[in-house]
Amino acid sequence: MKIAGTSQLPFPPEKAYDLMQDPAMLALAIPGCNSLEKTGDNEYKLSLKMALASLSGQFEGKVTLTEPNRPYSFKMLVEGTGKIGFVKGEGVIKLSGLGDGISITSAITATGIEFAGDAQIGGSIATVGQRMIDTTSKMMVKQFFKKLEKLGLGAEGTNPEAGGTAGE
Amino acid sequence: MIANSFEYSAPGSLKEALALLAEGAKPLAGGMSLIPMMKLRLANPEHLVDIGRLPELNYIREEGGAIHIGAGVTHFEVESSPLLLGKCPLLAETAAYIGDIQVRNRGTLGGSVAHADPSADYPAALHALDAKIVLTSSEGTRTLSTEEFFLDTFTTALDPGEIVSEVIVPVDAGLTGTSYQKFLQPASGFAIVGAAARVRQEGGKFTMVRVGVTGLSGNGYRARNVEDALVGQDVTDANIKAAAALVADGQDASSDLHATAEYRAHLAGAYTARALRAALSRSA
Amino acid sequence: MTTTVTKLEKLVGKRIKRKEDPRLITGTATYVEDVKLPELLHAAILRSPHGAANIKSIDISKAAALPGVVAVYTGADILGVGSVVCAADLPGLRKPVHHILAQDRTYFVGHAVAVVVAKDRYVAADGVDLIEVDWQPTQAVTDPEKALAAGAPAVHPEWPDNTAFIHNQEGGDMAQAFADAEVVVKQRIVSQRLIPNPMETRGVVADWKQADKAMTIWTSTQIPHLARSILAGQLGLDENRVRLIAPEVGGGFGSKLNVYPEEALMGFVSMKLQKPVKWIESRRENFQTTIHGRGHVDYLEIAAKRDGTILGLKLKLIQDLGAYHQLLTPAIPTLSVLMMPGLYKFRNISAQVIGVFTNAVPTDAYRGAGRPEATHGIERMVDMLAAEIGMDPAEIRYKNFAGKDDFPFLTAAGLTYDSGDYAATLDKALEMIDYKGLREQQVQARAEGKLMGIGISTYGELCGFGPSPATPAGGWESATVKVEPSGKVTVMTGCSPHGQGQETSFAQIAADELGVPLDDVIVLHGDTSIVQYGIGTFGSRNTAVGGAALFYALQDIREKAKRFGAKMLGVEDGEVVLADGHCTDSNGNSVTFQQIAGAAYRGIVIPTGSEPGLVATRFWEPSNFAYPYGAHIIVSEVDKETGQIEIKRYLAVDDIGNIINPLLVDGQLHGGVAQGLGQALWEHGVYDDDGQLVSGTFMDYAMPRARMMPWIESAHTITPSPVNPLGAKGVGEAGTIGSTPAMVNSVVDALAPLGVRHIDMPMTAGKIWKLMQDSSIQEKKA
Repeated sequence: MKIAGTSQLPFPPEKAYDLMQDPAMLALAIPGCNSLEKTGDNEYKLSLKMALASLSGQFEGKVTLTEPNRPYSFKMLVEGTGKIGFVKGEGVIKLSGLGDGISITSAITATGIEFAGDAQIGGSIATVGQRMIDTTSKMMVKQFFKKLEKLGLGAEGTNPEAGGTAGE
Repeated sequence: MIANSFEYSAPGSLKEALALLAEGAKPLAGGMSLIPMMKLRLANPEHLVDIGRLPELNYIREEGGAIHIGAGVTHFEVESSPLLLGKCPLLAETAAYIGDIQVRNRGTLGGSVAHADPSADYPAALHALDAKIVLTSSEGTRTLSTEEFFLDTFTTALDPGEIVSEVIVPVDAGLTGTSYQKFLQPASGFAIVGAAARVRQEGGKFTMVRVGVTGLSGNGYRARNVEDALVGQDVTDANIKAAAALVADGQDASSDLHATAEYRAHLAGAYTARALRAALSRSA
Repeated sequence: MTTTVTKLEKLVGKRIKRKEDPRLITGTATYVEDVKLPELLHAAILRSPHGAANIKSIDISKAAALPGVVAVYTGADILGVGSVVCAADLPGLRKPVHHILAQDRTYFVGHAVAVVVAKDRYVAADGVDLIEVDWQPTQAVTDPEKALAAGAPAVHPEWPDNTAFIHNQEGGDMAQAFADAEVVVKQRIVSQRLIPNPMETRGVVADWKQADKAMTIWTSTQIPHLARSILAGQLGLDENRVRLIAPEVGGGFGSKLNVYPEEALMGFVSMKLQKPVKWIESRRENFQTTIHGRGHVDYLEIAAKRDGTILGLKLKLIQDLGAYHQLLTPAIPTLSVLMMPGLYKFRNISAQVIGVFTNAVPTDAYRGAGRPEATHGIERMVDMLAAEIGMDPAEIRYKNFAGKDDFPFLTAAGLTYDSGDYAATLDKALEMIDYKGLREQQVQARAEGKLMGIGISTYGELCGFGPSPATPAGGWESATVKVEPSGKVTVMTGCSPHGQGQETSFAQIAADELGVPLDDVIVLHGDTSIVQYGIGTFGSRNTAVGGAALFYALQDIREKAKRFGAKMLGVEDGEVVLADGHCTDSNGNSVTFQQIAGAAYRGIVIPTGSEPGLVATRFWEPSNFAYPYGAHIIVSEVDKETGQIEIKRYLAVDDIGNIINPLLVDGQLHGGVAQGLGQALWEHGVYDDDGQLVSGTFMDYAMPRARMMPWIESAHTITPSPVNPLGAKGVGEAGTIGSTPAMVNSVVDALAPLGVRHIDMPMTAGKIWKLMQDSSIQEKKA
């Protein structure tokens, strides 16, 4: 299944990029994530509880971040296996700087995110959840970026080195 | 197709049920969504509290210019209620489209609303009706609008321990016309898209328009852009068409085995126009 | 003792309600699930969640330790059990060994890996969840054309080209046909995977009695005797010590014309544990592990003259076999080749079938089994040819039909059609539907911008399976007629009806032949300890073959009854007639059939050269298949806005030979049409590229519902088959075969003004809408 979409974060690409490379931040942003432990270079052990409608299940897996190209792009691989099935997603996340949208010379204050990849879903969830997979994955992506935005803005105040407040 | 073992309670009163729910039990009403998931072991609740049999949640009554429907009322009861058929026919019409007769005999209004399936029929009608959703827990009761209640795919404003206890729909003046139009997914009977329209006209102009849509995206929604495009405008088919064509704007249309995003968006427009026309024909 | 003999009304030909139905509608029928035995254990099966995977290890310790679990077996335990049998053979056929539990690798989602046996089914299911398998998923391939491409993952590592067989069949002179052609039309046509979905899933109970070395197996099957022979072989048991019972079977549609791993597996478990054991397939397992149907990609080329004369048909058929061969998997597409010529007299065919392994559950016989795909191919190609040369679709059919004087008619594929008058059947259909008027209506509708279509399919069918040399395990059928001393009649048929209604229609035949009331006859089947060896139920064969065997056994009874009757009346053998339940001599003296039965068992007077008792058994071998045919016409309209198809009229005129019970015929046709329309409009077994069955429940697999069905207008022409004494042909699959091309032809006709030539099934509304979008874009560009 193809997964693709766009999102925006109200801070510059460097910051957005770093947030997404930070396991502590990822652990907070990935919906249902219980823990994310570093197991190797750019590799993390993932434990996740998915709960959606009546469906719920524990997944164990890993997250791998590769092809780093700060702050433009990186590749992310997420794998998880649980009693109710398994999920594997691989995709490229591209970041681009956005200005205030008024003048082209304005400072970059926000990040445009573009992601595209493939997801494989197997086991029981694949057999029964066809009509939910698209809407659910979209919602989880949405939740991820929303949380990331909160985390980024929350960190804003505590980090005097960061640039001016983004786009508000 | 055998569920994991679980504890089952069938309390005799709502108070008792809410106390159990506060301890972390999951509510079971008609079981039309939950039980199949349990049989496939995709849902594995440890403790189910059966609220489907509580008489306190089983009523349809007119009160203060509105109709109050207990959450435990089945789809068939909604579909066949003389009160609703007479005073809020949109909800009855919508209920008649749900699943099949077996599902409608067991499934409940509150269960469906709380489940917030993105393809369920009720959200379209409830948005169009400016319905209120009453939430109850052992802590008390609160009342939300549909837009406050339906947050996202299978996601509502319900807190843990809280249930949908009542749905309140308006008694529409005789001048209002309503209609629900649905394009069925042939396997499941869920809506690929469903559109509910509620309109009033006066002197050849639209004076009130409500449009609720389900199935198109991850969450049912009220299509305010369609409403705004019509209110105050002449009642013409060209205006209906033009307004209905806006219905998918800003929505992230879903795609699955049964309909591409492009087709869904097209159907949403077509069915919104159909609902508006049918509603119009029923308005005085 | 002159008696007045009342003439009895013939029952054959009457709409008689089914004798089976009271127990079915009162819920008192016994299915496998209803079999309860003392100390019965329950089994649940762990299945592969992957399309293709290596099993690195299996840990059953937690499952085995669960209280209530009696045993857990994996692939290592069952090596002494014979593998799953494929009875079909083709030159050079590659047959993978299909163990009843996977060994070190799984080949499709649902592949059985381990079995947990427990005191109840709940604990068994919990036990399955506790088995830990270390999977190493590998790349799967599920699309047969992708599987044939270079570099595709190998389903079976030993055969990297994924090719199980290549089967060629030629008839006539194809090169000449194409050289003479003035027009050639080519089309790729897909007959998608379908999931049979009988109302009752599969189920098995096995009960081993060590002291007797005897096994009883209850299983939901269409072929009790063949299944017994195969299971005895797999389990290493004496065939006469295996009793196989097909109790009430809730539909099969070909999916139970098979012997599955779970049947031998339950036998194995019962022998190991010395206790009876039951396994009932869940609906999800049924979707994943019971055979699927169809799964064709056909490349067709039809060569013709501009006047509509068809010269030849070329076919490359890519058959999605799935990962293994079930009982008849590789044979099914060869039936498509045999039926390629349809009802037409052209002399040249050329076919190549490529059987392809994929990481999917095997395909095999599903209602029509190879013939719907063939009929769909030829009937689509004939319509496309008609469109190409600007000829009316009815006219092109008339032009190419085998004539009524051509029978027996040898087809280009080498079959000899028994009897028919194809033009007469189409005449009747066109007249009933007012074809000329419809075409005028269509002109009007098109002028109004409506998309109205008229689709014709004139199908032929190969059924009444069949001459033994042409079938993998014998094509004859058996019948025993046992008359009790009271004159009550028990028929035992080797067929195994499971919804077709032979308990009624065979009773009608017996009652007529013996002159006894319908209720005096019972029909038994499906229990190998009660019924003589038989072949079973499939390929629309019950009446044409099983009914013929019954007819001859009844003639034996009649002959013997007449000899007893003559003796009782004190006249010579040849001086009596048996009619209307009486044996009557030339003086008008008579004895009743019941009196004769009593005398035959009392044994006081025995005719010379005869013996006591009144029982006869016949095994009847058909000399040919029977070939029903018909014309189905569908009037449809496509909603321009949504692409939704509305069936305005459905007319079926079928010639199925003589009709025993028109009510049963209607039921068979209606069900067949429902399944055919299901394929044409909604049903699709979909695997994703990783081998996940994504249409794996009724939420995503669109079975037709009653509310989705049109009113079916039905009529018949009757051309008796000369092959069997009943003149019957067969009706079990006719509706399925006739309906799909009629439906697609109708919708293509509706969309013809937009330039649409062909649509693959299922014709979902979304697909039609997209087609209309694309063609309107094309129009604007042009």
